[in-house]
Amino acid sequence: MAYSKSRYLVRRFQLDPSLIIVILLLSIVVISGFVLSDRFGTTRNFMNVLEQSSGLGFASIGQAMVVIVGGIDLSIGAVVTASTIFMAAVVDLHPGLMIPMIFGTLLFGAMIGFCNGYLTIKTGVHPLVVTLGTASILNGSVLIYTLQPTGGVPYWFEEFAYGRIWNVPISGLVMLSCFALTWLFLRYFQAGRAFYAVGESPEAARLSGIQSSRVILLAYSASGFFAALAGVYFVSRTGVGDPRIGDPITLASITPVILGGLILGGGKGNVLGVLLGVILISLLGNLLNYMNISTFIQWVIQGVIIIIAVSVYVDKGEKL
Amino acid sequence: MSDVKSIRSYLKIFKQLGGLIVPLSLVILVGTAILLQPSFLSINNVQDILTQAAPLALVVLGQAFVILVRGLDLSVASLMASAAVLATAFNAASDAMIPVIFLVTIVASAGVGLINGLLVAKRNVSPFLATLAMMIVLQGIRFYYTQGAPSGSLPEGFRVLGAGRLAGIPVNMLVFFFFFCILGWLLHKSSFGRKIYITGGNPKSANLVGINADRVTITCYVICSVMAGIAGLFLVGFVGTVDNWVGRSYEIDAVVACVLGGIMLTGGKGTLWGAATGALILILIFNIVIILGLPVQAQLIIKGIIIIFVAGLFSRSTQH
Repeated sequence: MAYSKSRYLVRRFQLDPSLIIVILLLSIVVISGFVLSDRFGTTRNFMNVLEQSSGLGFASIGQAMVVIVGGIDLSIGAVVTASTIFMAAVVDLHPGLMIPMIFGTLLFGAMIGFCNGYLTIKTGVHPLVVTLGTASILNGSVLIYTLQPTGGVPYWFEEFAYGRIWNVPISGLVMLSCFALTWLFLRYFQAGRAFYAVGESPEAARLSGIQSSRVILLAYSASGFFAALAGVYFVSRTGVGDPRIGDPITLASITPVILGGLILGGGKGNVLGVLLGVILISLLGNLLNYMNISTFIQWVIQGVIIIIAVSVYVDKGEKL
Repeated sequence: MSDVKSIRSYLKIFKQLGGLIVPLSLVILVGTAILLQPSFLSINNVQDILTQAAPLALVVLGQAFVILVRGLDLSVASLMASAAVLATAFNAASDAMIPVIFLVTIVASAGVGLINGLLVAKRNVSPFLATLAMMIVLQGIRFYYTQGAPSGSLPEGFRVLGAGRLAGIPVNMLVFFFFFCILGWLLHKSSFGRKIYITGGNPKSANLVGINADRVTITCYVICSVMAGIAGLFLVGFVGTVDNWVGRSYEIDAVVACVLGGIMLTGGKGTLWGAATGALILILIFNIVIILGLPVQAQLIIKGIIIIFVAGLFSRSTQH
């Protein structure tokens, strides 16, 4: 009975079975939050979490797109760092260029992503190695330019990170709409459907008339674009370019992707699951902070959650 | 057009050279170094380079085993630091404790490797994620134990192990040579080594010919973790002080060294000799950057360029 009911739910809401675990974990966190802390379950707190999760959210969208086409992007953190420096340094010299520089930074990120994709396709080297290489080059260049936070942006730009519309954070709204647009794109557009085909099997996709290399280029460019968007968010939040800010983002961006039911090796998954993953990680961190649990234990919990999630999902034979 | 042709003919030369790429690049690097700095080959400098290379080379030996069975171990750096912290936990003053410290570290590291191996082989978790999660978990436990700032001391003997010399040869290089011989015999002369190559080439057909592929994979992860634990102890002896980040970025460097040494990330191809040479090449490159008087950060940029270039060369020369 219970079995058929869950089957019904899965079919009725087109629920990916792999999403069940993230929904389960999310409900555990929310329920224990309401029980354990009286400050957790307030609108104010939820809005704060939404605002703080935006950076991770942007980075995860890009990572998700690359993972769907069967790759992985380990340069996301480096792109985040480089774009914060690029933006803050240029705007510091020419404050008038604030608005154009937002688009300039996004373009900059997309271009680096494009290079990643191009190198992956042209050299045939594993994306892990290619993106590691570009990350190393970017980090080295940034650290030669500066060793400490540098540059600055006009004060009003913090509105992007901290501003509210009807009490909803602007950055959170931007993140949610990015997720929605990506979801629509991947689900209802021909080019988006091609992402899954290429992830499943690039060769089969090529034979059925999809230009695999274009899809892969698009995925990596999108990854760079969203990493740069995360960079713009961090500049807005901190007001400076920080040569170390992206370091934890690379690996952090992979966790929600995995929790959301995407599989390394590609071809499967739903970006809305990734959004749930981002919310889960952020709410969990928030709850553990309220419970006064040390950051170090939070790391352990995060690692254990990854292990639980990946050992419950049945992975595709192909491994990374 | 003629450019394309000449590039093609260069590629052809590389293809014909095949296995010579690694030793050849080593010769070229040493040659460049001597040209730049005539004192490069002085006994002191050679000793220094070997002392620096040994800990990385120890890690690379283990990483090679894991990559040969289509795996990847990102937890090695975290394990190295954890081994160092574990060693200080004894707070021992007498050198008589050194064997005990080594024994405990080896057993603990083997446990970590066993968990990695079980997750990858039995639960079919992608090696990237399993070892990534392990990296975060170890990091959390380590930081929680030390509360951010390690205390405790090591016996004096560690200094000798990490930086001492025996008849002019660095002690840690002798230890590396010892392990190189044992593991080289295991990989290239014993029947277990054949099993590793068959499993890495194709796990399914390995099972069909009666090899317990899971057991081979798990053993490789255990070997890798044990080598990382030992390398951690030698590195802490070299550095002289314990901190929570001993060996940081060694996981990346070890993978890079393996790739440089011609071990394929797709598994089943490459030699231990190549891997060890890869480690030496990487250290030489770092050394040359310093000789050139470039800032240390330039190491990152050069490392990145070399990763992409060499990996591209290898995948080209084997693809066709």
